[in-house]
Amino acid sequence: MNFFAVTTISELVALLQYPFMQRAIVGAVLMGMLGGLLGSFVTLRQLSFFSHAVGHAALVGITLGVLLQLNPTWMLLPSSLAFGVIVLYFIEKTDLASDSILSIILSGALAIGIILSSLIQGYRGNLMAVLFGDILAIDRKDLILTVLLLAASAIFLFSTLGQQILLTLNPAVAKVQGIAVELHRYCFIVLLSLAVAVAIKAVGVLLVNAFLVIPASTAKLISHHFRRFLLLSVLIGSATSIIGMIVSGLFNFASGPSIVLVQFVVFIGTFGWTRLWKRCGKKFS
Amino acid sequence: MTDKITILKVEGLTVYQGNYQAIRDVSFELLSGTNTAIVGPNGAGKSTLVQAILDLIPRSSGQIEIFGRPISKLGNLRHQLGYIPQHFIFDRSFPISVAELVGLGWNKNYKEIQRQKKQGKFSWVFATIARISPQNQEKTAAVAAALRRTDAYHLRNQAIGTLSGGQLKRVLLAYCLVMPRKLLILDEAFAGVDVQGTADFYTLLNELKQEEGWTVLQVSHDINMVSNYCDRVICLNQTIICTGAPAIALSAANLLATYGPGFSRYQHHH
Repeated sequence: MNFFAVTTISELVALLQYPFMQRAIVGAVLMGMLGGLLGSFVTLRQLSFFSHAVGHAALVGITLGVLLQLNPTWMLLPSSLAFGVIVLYFIEKTDLASDSILSIILSGALAIGIILSSLIQGYRGNLMAVLFGDILAIDRKDLILTVLLLAASAIFLFSTLGQQILLTLNPAVAKVQGIAVELHRYCFIVLLSLAVAVAIKAVGVLLVNAFLVIPASTAKLISHHFRRFLLLSVLIGSATSIIGMIVSGLFNFASGPSIVLVQFVVFIGTFGWTRLWKRCGKKFS
Repeated sequence: MTDKITILKVEGLTVYQGNYQAIRDVSFELLSGTNTAIVGPNGAGKSTLVQAILDLIPRSSGQIEIFGRPISKLGNLRHQLGYIPQHFIFDRSFPISVAELVGLGWNKNYKEIQRQKKQGKFSWVFATIARISPQNQEKTAAVAAALRRTDAYHLRNQAIGTLSGGQLKRVLLAYCLVMPRKLLILDEAFAGVDVQGTADFYTLLNELKQEEGWTVLQVSHDINMVSNYCDRVICLNQTIICTGAPAIALSAANLLATYGPGFSRYQHHH
């Protein structure tokens, strides 16, 4: 019994010759970097559940796109953005706990999405693609969009890195230093919502959160220096994407879940290694 | 001796929290190179007053000027303002070292911006490039000096989540010391610090005041330290009960009026 879809190096090289495979690998690496970069702040600002909610809200945009016979990708971006900003507005303007607001928005969006999808006549293949994604289907436009988003995120975060760290750490001290805390939060949410929308096509609603949370959480286990943590998060995000794509090609697994599986294994391995290291450190100290 | 100038001016400040009037018609001024303490019982509105001064909470009425300007129009002057909150609440697993945290207080292009603005050559392009460029030696030296001054240099590579309450206060003070400030606002900054540590802090504040002309406004519960080190005391209980030099403001009658019956003062010596 052969578990491998690709058994020789030449077959693997041949697989990598296909333009769709090259686009998928480049797309996966870019999304890994984007997820690692934004995810660093997502995990520190306790926004993990936020990206999950925005991901589910994207269903509304996709369904509307199908119903109105528009390009679902272009409907995905504004709907994710709108939901992201609405969620943040509710969090900032009410006394309710953020997880309650996220649950309310997520449930409401999911209900609207499911009802709208029931109005679609005939084939609903697009909706399955939203749930599970297909990285092999990403095209040139998606890649350009991802590059632009990665560049915008990098410029925004690195040019204001000290301010971003301080407002994440303690908003009151940041405000006293003259940092426009609310404006920065909204800018970040805009980038995050767009990143979720772009990544949904590749990995689907159900797994999009992994790209934002797992690499950053793994990096957090390793480093307590912020710059190293940020760099590690981006490196882990991109490296696990490449390895995940190779695993996907070797075993003929679905690409998105393969990347997430690699991220998960790396996280578990890092966790075990850090526990062992701490135990040894204590023993020898 | 240089003339003292008004660093902070509070006029007719009233703050409501919901329907509760937390602060009523508070007015006072701080002169440069002075150390002023706000004292009062729990719930007297001390932290609320500090937060209203810093524009962290909305005020119902009143005017506040820092360095002669409304706080919303301070611009780059904000870097001359240092603040340590009562509770520095943060995620204990936040991946940041002590040196990195102290470095956040450093504004490396501050001096250059001031110089360029004077010459009318200020460029946002320069400011952005300076901000994203790697750490420079000047910053590293300033961080090390600030940490040494607060006796926290040995903690520089430690994660901030591993610090004790007292160590964290030292590091936060170093964050304020990393560049020159004109006004330092401390909201019970020494709570949780041991007796010797508190005495060291007060001595350091005294040095900053006398040698570098810093102005300090602090909320404190330590009446004895306030008596020994502060120039002026504001006794607060929703409104100002009394104000003046410690010998006058902290008289038995004034403390009774501020804290109410049942107040008694215990002396400690350090």
